[in-house]
Amino acid sequence: MSFSDGASKSSSKSSTKPTYSRFTQQELPACKPILTPALVMTTFIMIGITFIPIGLSHLSASENVVELVDQYDEVCIPADSPDPDVVYSKRIGYIQDESTDKTCIRTLIVPKKMKQPIFVYYQLDQFYQNHRRYVKSQNDEQYRDPSASAKTTNCEPEAQLSEGQPIVPCGLIAWSLFNDTYTLSRNDVALPINKKGIAWESDRTHKFGSNVYAKNFQNRSLIGGGKLIDNIPLNQQEDLLVWMRTAALPNFRKLYGRIETDLEVNEIIKVVIQNNYNTYSFNGKKKLVISTTTWIGGKNDFLGMVYIIVGGVCLLIALVFITVYLIKPRPLGDPSYLSWNKNPASVQ
Amino acid sequence: MKRYVYINDDNLAKDIYCDNRISNRKYTILNFLPKNLWEQFSRFMNQYFLLIACLQLWSLITPVNPASTWGPLILIFAVSSSKEAWDDYNRYLLDKKANEKEIWIVRQGIRKLIQAQDICIGNIVWLRENDEVPCDLLLLGTADPQGFCYVETAALDGETDLKTRSIPSACMGIDVDLLHKIKGVIECPSPNKDIRRFDANMRLFPPFLDNDIFPLTIKNTLLQSCYLRNTEWACGVAVYTGNQTKLGMCRGIAEPKLTAVDAMIDKLTGAVFVFQIVVVIVLGIAGNVFKDKQGRKLWYVQYPKEGPWYELLVIPLRFELLCSIMIPISIKVSLDLAKSLYAKFIDWDVEMVDPETGIRSNAANQAISEDLGQVEYILTDKTGTLTENKMIFKRCCISGRFYGNESGDALTAKVGQFHTRHYPKMKKPLYVLLLVCAWFWRIKTEIFLILTSMHLQCNMKYLTLWSSHLTGKECLWWLGNAKAGNFSSCQKEQMKLFFLLPILIVSGQQVRTFAEAVEQYAQMGLRTLCLAWRKLEEDEYQEWTSMFKEANSTLVDRERRVAEVCQRLERDFEILGVAAIEDRLQEGVPETIEILRKAGINFWMLTGDKMSTAIQIALSCNFVSPEPKGQILIIDGKTEDEVCRSLDRVLLTTRITESESKQDVAFVVDGWALEIALKHYRKPFTELAILSRTAICCRVTPSQKAQLVELLKLCDYRTLAIGDGGNDVRMIQQADIGVGISGREGLQAARAADYSIGKFRFLKRLILVHGRYSYNRTAFLSQYSFYKSFLICFIQIFFSFISGVSGTSLFNTVSLMAYNVFYTSVPVLFSVLDKDLSERTVMQHPQILFDCQSGRLLNPSTFAGWFGRSLFHAIVVFVITIHSYAFEKSVMEEVAMVAVSGCIWLQAFVVALETNSFTIFQHLAIWGNLVGFYAINWIVSSIPTSGMYTIMFRLCEQPSYWITMILIVATGMCPVLALKYLRYTYRPSRINLLQQSERLGGPILSSGIIEPKSRSSLDKDIPTDSVYEPLLSESPSATRRSAGPTQRLDSVQSQSPPHSTHTRKDN
Repeated sequence: MSFSDGASKSSSKSSTKPTYSRFTQQELPACKPILTPALVMTTFIMIGITFIPIGLSHLSASENVVELVDQYDEVCIPADSPDPDVVYSKRIGYIQDESTDKTCIRTLIVPKKMKQPIFVYYQLDQFYQNHRRYVKSQNDEQYRDPSASAKTTNCEPEAQLSEGQPIVPCGLIAWSLFNDTYTLSRNDVALPINKKGIAWESDRTHKFGSNVYAKNFQNRSLIGGGKLIDNIPLNQQEDLLVWMRTAALPNFRKLYGRIETDLEVNEIIKVVIQNNYNTYSFNGKKKLVISTTTWIGGKNDFLGMVYIIVGGVCLLIALVFITVYLIKPRPLGDPSYLSWNKNPASVQ
Repeated sequence: MKRYVYINDDNLAKDIYCDNRISNRKYTILNFLPKNLWEQFSRFMNQYFLLIACLQLWSLITPVNPASTWGPLILIFAVSSSKEAWDDYNRYLLDKKANEKEIWIVRQGIRKLIQAQDICIGNIVWLRENDEVPCDLLLLGTADPQGFCYVETAALDGETDLKTRSIPSACMGIDVDLLHKIKGVIECPSPNKDIRRFDANMRLFPPFLDNDIFPLTIKNTLLQSCYLRNTEWACGVAVYTGNQTKLGMCRGIAEPKLTAVDAMIDKLTGAVFVFQIVVVIVLGIAGNVFKDKQGRKLWYVQYPKEGPWYELLVIPLRFELLCSIMIPISIKVSLDLAKSLYAKFIDWDVEMVDPETGIRSNAANQAISEDLGQVEYILTDKTGTLTENKMIFKRCCISGRFYGNESGDALTAKVGQFHTRHYPKMKKPLYVLLLVCAWFWRIKTEIFLILTSMHLQCNMKYLTLWSSHLTGKECLWWLGNAKAGNFSSCQKEQMKLFFLLPILIVSGQQVRTFAEAVEQYAQMGLRTLCLAWRKLEEDEYQEWTSMFKEANSTLVDRERRVAEVCQRLERDFEILGVAAIEDRLQEGVPETIEILRKAGINFWMLTGDKMSTAIQIALSCNFVSPEPKGQILIIDGKTEDEVCRSLDRVLLTTRITESESKQDVAFVVDGWALEIALKHYRKPFTELAILSRTAICCRVTPSQKAQLVELLKLCDYRTLAIGDGGNDVRMIQQADIGVGISGREGLQAARAADYSIGKFRFLKRLILVHGRYSYNRTAFLSQYSFYKSFLICFIQIFFSFISGVSGTSLFNTVSLMAYNVFYTSVPVLFSVLDKDLSERTVMQHPQILFDCQSGRLLNPSTFAGWFGRSLFHAIVVFVITIHSYAFEKSVMEEVAMVAVSGCIWLQAFVVALETNSFTIFQHLAIWGNLVGFYAINWIVSSIPTSGMYTIMFRLCEQPSYWITMILIVATGMCPVLALKYLRYTYRPSRINLLQQSERLGGPILSSGIIEPKSRSSLDKDIPTDSVYEPLLSESPSATRRSAGPTQRLDSVQSQSPPHSTHTRKDN
């Protein structure tokens, strides 16, 4: 009696057998590659022979870029003294004095023929556009929407005038707008710089509103960089748009404009610079860059060089592996290497 | 503490005791949120992330939108609390069902139907057949005129056979109608969880009998959740209700177990935390210095001249937030998901389903699968765990004659007939012997056959009665009174020597034969039972009975007093005979033990059996290699001095053999010596425990089993305890991993255990396959989680050096959030399908488990490897990004996305390189994740108001973006690949070697190979060699061969009696 009961109970428990599937049994078909010498060496050789040509073509593209760089921050300022502290304070005094004429003339010689479009950049060194206090100090909503001009969250300390009116565009980035200007001429003929379309199209259409106008800008006692024109919408003041695409690195170039004629070899270009922007406080540098582009963009040897180095190193590694393999071949999966086969007693 | 229950008087009880509402719920609707949150926040990691998330609300210091931490945090919390809520809701539904069940009770003398939750202490509850018992009841009446009823207690202790319950003698013969009006008082202990004891008294009020106090035992109770079977009706008085029932008290919340892997991850997390603090302090100081030296000159930043008081803290706090991603928020969720899948794989495994009973393996504890792969010690019970616990009556020795033949068959009918024909005088002893065997080993059916064939008048009904509801002592009385005259006997084979002892003096020759028989049977690995009897005079019996009754009704210390009384009766016995019962080894046990021993796992056998039986079993299941390789050392002694000397001797021998490392040393210790050793010589015993790979502990009590587990755990070993009976529960709960065998002794062990399996042989698959894979997978998963967090964190740190150490985040909120939660978590989650070696290879080379045991795949040095890799990769990504996106291209958003893409590409290849086997899911996850990354970013890039508008489209149009990606991958992966290849080929790990051999040429044969097929045939051969010696062959070689030096065995034998006396008292 009790016997049969127990038996039936235990057998009723068995009804739930696990369902069999290859997944539940961990038996899914799997590909199990292993690092055979052939596979590894082929990989390295393949990397080597594809990388070196890529690197070379990259380098040659970079070589084809004609680039004119002129650092003008020190030469455009009259302050000569053996004492660096004196120089420092003199320069600051000079740049902060609004009454002085800060025109500076530079001449550049075109080293190679430059085909249009030729890009004119300004380059700032040691300028931390990525500084946390700086990069956060903007308010996209205010820039986009005319009705949101009072929204100045994050814009401190350039949010409002002391009376409480909001500054449009608010924030440190806009406030510190770069305001050096360049006027180019070739053989005393002005070389026009097209400043239309230098900003990203998305910035013009979406990031900045077409009916947002500058208000109370640079009206505080502390004046930062350039000024804006109050009756032109923000999205047409492309210098601002370019400036507000903050750079991730402390050394950066920003597009100033385009030259739409070719420049011939050894042509002399006269540049009239209005040296307004203060980089002297923090010992930053200012450079004028005139450059052509290719498919890789501007001049950049780095990628090409690294490609060639990596490709070369891979070939070298492959070579070493092959040599070692030939000198000291080692069969894969030799059971005699298993420690418990070497010395069974030591398995503890 | 006592409780007084007044029968049929619920007014008195209502205020004092709780009602019968069962509640297993952890939460209520009101307290769910606070309680659950409190529980979740008691974890350090969660506190940390909450702190970070709160700090992020301070906009001055937050590098990114607070959503990047709040999002994942809320997600994680939502996932785990909804799981909790769902579980709790299900518990609530079950409770509700139980609470609202309709139950018949007696109120004011009338039977009424009420809900189960309204039962009060003292109520009389009526049950019909197949009803579930709603609370703990004291039985008052049943339909059976004898006062019996049958219950199924499976829900309580897992035992599936029916148990008999009887009404107290006081209530015998009370009319059904009178039962409605019965009054009385029950004196019982306060609620406790001992389901085997109920030491209470009852006094009925007039007119029901007299004022006599009647003892009550567990036999008189119906416990909650049992079922009434084979009885038309029964009624009882509620003594414990609600959560105070025996079952309710048993329900404890088990302490969560922490695996070695978890502990290691916690340790590493701690180290990372310290590292993070150091980084934060260094960067914080650097930031403040930069600010003072340089920052104030940066006019465009407009640092105020005078900052607030907390100004110095701002930059360090910003870095703290920036570096908080160093500790991956996703690791907990990823690991939890992975662990529950490991547990599911165990549940699903069709190879671990017992083909006979269909019982499947079950992982009750989902969190500790990795520990299975790191087991160093297995402590196993013998009966039912190694053996089948299916008792087969093999041999017996009656009045000097031996029955049972070499072929090992059970006693055939012929033997019985032969015996009765030739020795009619011995008819009765054989009969009694068989009956007692039947009771003791529960092998009724077999004995019936023998008895029937012997034409003995066998009253089936009585046999059933005796066998089902009497304990040993009572059984003998029954026999004594009802049938075969007055006699007594021993109840468990542990005690046989005790009974033999006094007789040794009386009649030497006869006893020697029996002693030899016992020894012989024990040597064959059989369980022996020796029976002796004595004729009792009527007076003596009466006197003893009253003493027994008195002892039996004491409330305090009942067991000891009963034992004392029994001892008075047990003297001057005449031996009836010896019966030997075989408990066969389970299929595949020797093979399993051999494989696991090869895997470097040390085995300890803890058994209640006699030493020689235990040694025999140990030999036959490969615990110890046979002589000359194996050596068994015995620790014995009755006094402290003897044990000490013996222990020292064994320790010395073990040290010597260990240094030679040629031999396989096992030590044997019995309960008495163990007690002394643990109490007074803990240090040398611990040393011995560490030195010796094998130990056999005989005659140990459940608490000693648990103590041994504790001892090994204190030595920092990972222990696994496996057992099947209630006496193993403590050991199972104590061990790091408890495995229960759902066997014949019920499910008690299986319930307490973390894993339950149907047969011992599944243990090897549980450990070698599931445990090992789980460990390997978790090792990769956890370290990888740190790797990817480090990678992105290092880039942030590097970036801070080119952003004026001001704490700018290079990455935007979306990228940071998705990086941790999505991009990097999804591909690696599928590494839970990774198999480094095939199951077959692992089974062939169990030694490979050593890598898991010693934690080769997850330790500070492998972690340092991953740390180095992430540092290297961060440098690669950062340097290449800032150089290829320099000057006119260095737009913040673009550089950030290039860096993120670089990380995603690299991590895809890292996962690919570290994956050993690619199933379709892994391919989908790894490469699909890349597609997903671009898809998500394109979507985000097409939202005009997002900061990322058009960025990803612009990038993807540029050839230099793709060239940069290729370069990052090649530069990042080539050195890793080269190093891995060199190691793989010239410094291969064992895993690598086996991978190579597995995947290149067919199976390689190593000296350590175990062919499962040939093994099982061998295992049939070996025991017949060493264990199944011909009966009384007198060959000394047999003894020596199977159990070491004969001398030792002799000494065991001669010293045994006092031990058993002691054990006796212990019990």
